[in-house]
Amino acid sequence: MNRIFKKERDAASSFSFDFFFEKAVILLLAGAFLLFILYPIFTVVLKSLTKDGTWSLDHYRSLVTPRNLELIRNSVFVATLSSVIATVLAFCVGIFAHFKGVLVRKGIYRGLMMTMISPPFISAIALITLFGRRGLISYGIFGATLNPYGWHGIVLLQSLSGVSLSAMMMMTGFAQIDNRLILASRDLGADAWHTIHKVLLPSMVPTIFSVLFLQFTMNISDFTTPIIIGGRFRVLATEAYLQVYAQGNLNGAAAMAMLLLPPAMIAFYFYRSNMRKVQTLSERSKVLDRESIHFQLPQILQWVTASITIAFFLINLVQYGNIFLTAFSRNVSGSIVFTLDHWGVFQSRHVDALIRTIYMAVTASFFATVSGMLLSYYHQRRKIKGFGALEFIGSVPYIIPGIFFGLSYIVAFHRGPITLTGTLLILILNCTFRHVSVGNKAANAAFESMDHKLEWASNDLGASKVRTLITVVFPILRPTFLVSFINAFTACMTTVGPLMLLVSPGNLVTSVLMFNEINSGRYGQGAVMGSMLILITFSVNLFAIHLLNREKRN
Amino acid sequence: MRKLGLAVLILMLMFSLIACGQEEEPEESEDPGEAVENEEETAEGDGEEEAVEEKPFEGTVLEVSVAYGGAEDSFEQFTEETGIEIEWVSLSTGAKLSQLQAEEGETTTDIWFGGGVDSYFNARDLGYLHQYESPEFENIDPKYLDPEGYFGALSLVPFGFIVNEDLIEDLELDMPSNWEDLRDSQYSGEIIMADPSISGGQYAILSSLIQVMGEDEAWDYWEAVNENVDFYAQSGGEPQQKVAAGEFAIGLTAIHGQTFGLMETAPVAALFPEEHIPWIPAPIAIFENSENKEAAKVFVDWYLSEHGQTILMEADARIMANENVAPPEEMDTLNMEQLIDFDLEEMGRERENILDRWKDVIGE
Repeated sequence: MNRIFKKERDAASSFSFDFFFEKAVILLLAGAFLLFILYPIFTVVLKSLTKDGTWSLDHYRSLVTPRNLELIRNSVFVATLSSVIATVLAFCVGIFAHFKGVLVRKGIYRGLMMTMISPPFISAIALITLFGRRGLISYGIFGATLNPYGWHGIVLLQSLSGVSLSAMMMMTGFAQIDNRLILASRDLGADAWHTIHKVLLPSMVPTIFSVLFLQFTMNISDFTTPIIIGGRFRVLATEAYLQVYAQGNLNGAAAMAMLLLPPAMIAFYFYRSNMRKVQTLSERSKVLDRESIHFQLPQILQWVTASITIAFFLINLVQYGNIFLTAFSRNVSGSIVFTLDHWGVFQSRHVDALIRTIYMAVTASFFATVSGMLLSYYHQRRKIKGFGALEFIGSVPYIIPGIFFGLSYIVAFHRGPITLTGTLLILILNCTFRHVSVGNKAANAAFESMDHKLEWASNDLGASKVRTLITVVFPILRPTFLVSFINAFTACMTTVGPLMLLVSPGNLVTSVLMFNEINSGRYGQGAVMGSMLILITFSVNLFAIHLLNREKRN
Repeated sequence: MRKLGLAVLILMLMFSLIACGQEEEPEESEDPGEAVENEEETAEGDGEEEAVEEKPFEGTVLEVSVAYGGAEDSFEQFTEETGIEIEWVSLSTGAKLSQLQAEEGETTTDIWFGGGVDSYFNARDLGYLHQYESPEFENIDPKYLDPEGYFGALSLVPFGFIVNEDLIEDLELDMPSNWEDLRDSQYSGEIIMADPSISGGQYAILSSLIQVMGEDEAWDYWEAVNENVDFYAQSGGEPQQKVAAGEFAIGLTAIHGQTFGLMETAPVAALFPEEHIPWIPAPIAIFENSENKEAAKVFVDWYLSEHGQTILMEADARIMANENVAPPEEMDTLNMEQLIDFDLEEMGRERENILDRWKDVIGE
């Protein structure tokens, strides 16, 4: 019934303040996306198509080499493997947490927030110092010489660090499932396995694909982990980074980064088409609190998921412990010597950068989340023409290697009417638009399982579109906002790729400093910055949760 | 609830205003303002009578891109004496060159401090460097300097081996004493060196050994060494750190103050090969786009003067470019006779060819 009247509802808009306000927001959103995503990328593409000032396909021609094909294979191989492993593990953690009591669930959620903070390359410190060639555990205790450098190192670090974010998304996804379905399935005599297979899994499909897509695009454009732990195993993102960083070959790097687009676009397409298919599956209301249903996971599944969850947290505990330990010590051929030297250096040099980093991350992640959610709203709910395209544009910065996006900002904003290089603003803008897709994807998943009828009801009762957005949609999306903000904030605090080329002595940020330290093998210094980033990110995340909880109580 | 939503929208609007405002007002206008503010602050804070005459650039902020390990320890002294503030970033010269190219030379950085001389040649040819012949050049051997005065030289950086003595003992290896030794299969998997396309230092080793050994022999040599190398480090400083942590037995590295510093905390020793010691000068230059050229000249003069050089040497022990500064004790083991006599210009000119060949040889 409702669907029939949908058209009429959309047509009914008056020329009120809200109407113009909304138009302004839409225009602003579209304008910002064009100026800060499409335009910079366009300038770099242009660069990849010119050589010595004239049009030329030389940069692309020189890309087609057996070596580059191998790099593509490597990239796809590693990214697929890491994403699948992360998704499977995250699903296990998610399903385990979902059917536990509130306390356990909250505990796991907070735990995940904590573990989400470290980017994979920080984990490299732990892998190398604990299990490396002269690791404290592998060599110090067992006397074995393990080689962490290679594709296995990359996959290990990428999938481990992907689990946290993915598991949080899974938990949000599970929480959106209509619990009546589970009850119905049980009432109709289905056993637990059957219910999982026929009810839980299908309802989780959009979330699972969101997670996979996000992980895949993140991993394929990550050059930091491969460069630190990959040894001789190179991937396309690393090569693009080296083209810029080592060879100064911007045009060639631009062309190379183009190669990363097709696999990411395929992943995106897959995700989108899948979303459409399941859309009808979840247009249901949520009336039952999950505490009021009795559903137990099958015994075996319970054990397996429990042990995966516990193992995951143990590994993280070891890893974080090691980072803090490294901040206070030095590894001398497999044994520890304690020292405070690393902190002294940090205090005298890097405090300003840390404050700047926090400011940048808060601002950028706030705007990124809000615009990502608005984008999703106007596309998913309002079906405004062109927002599908905008959504794709919004996900591009996330797909392409960070260094490429950073590069595009230099090329676009180093002179002319918008000169931004060397400022803090360019970092904020870059971070904002790079992470729009985080909030966008999360909001998409939330909209998929959020009942449209609520908004229709609000409209029918006379609320304008803007009012409905503010009083109905945003409150429902609050948990999604929270998760996205935290994700974006964490990413901004620790992101390196895009900022690498944008920092100058006047606008340094901690993550870049930290990457440089770790990449130079100075793990002690790197660990100090890592510890600070972890502590601060965690506190800000807790504060965000606190604020939202308080708001909820009021 | 409604308030939260409204706040969100208002912030969105504010954001757009900031963004639009920025469009109209390019960032350069901010910098001098900031500088003036700083000037006032410092003048009020500690500058009494003496500051005004002796420190004409009091409060000016110079942005320095540093590729000179340990140099930061000398900045404080410089600021104290001249009143010029330093903001610095540690960035490899290859990366800085790339950034310059992306910005077409329009950098906000004033000074380039240390690093691979090949990048300086490139930057000079692209017109990114400011020509400035410091009066201090007369105390510096001209072979360290750019003939046209686009960059000066701070110090001399020799290259050699860093060896983890514990590991050599544990694995029952011989101490390497020469380049030829590295070919020996006993070192299989125990040698770490940087990728020469990233590290200007490693490139200097490669290029100067080619000049001294002759092309064919040199490439044979690197092909053999490649067999012993697991992977190539992605940063010039990495080999010495990894050897100190005991991950590898032998590293190829620049040997300077920080290397000697490692010897105090880790069982490592820095060795120079018995013959053919590669080296490069650590350059210093002013960027053409700098808006503080006069202050930048004060900076360059200070760092090339006997006084500044001594302080820089204390920060990181090296053989300084200024002939009036005696070499530090740590460098006693360096036999200056064995420094390779090579053509600096050629090193810069041949970079692309050599690196292409390198890729072929090591199969990457």
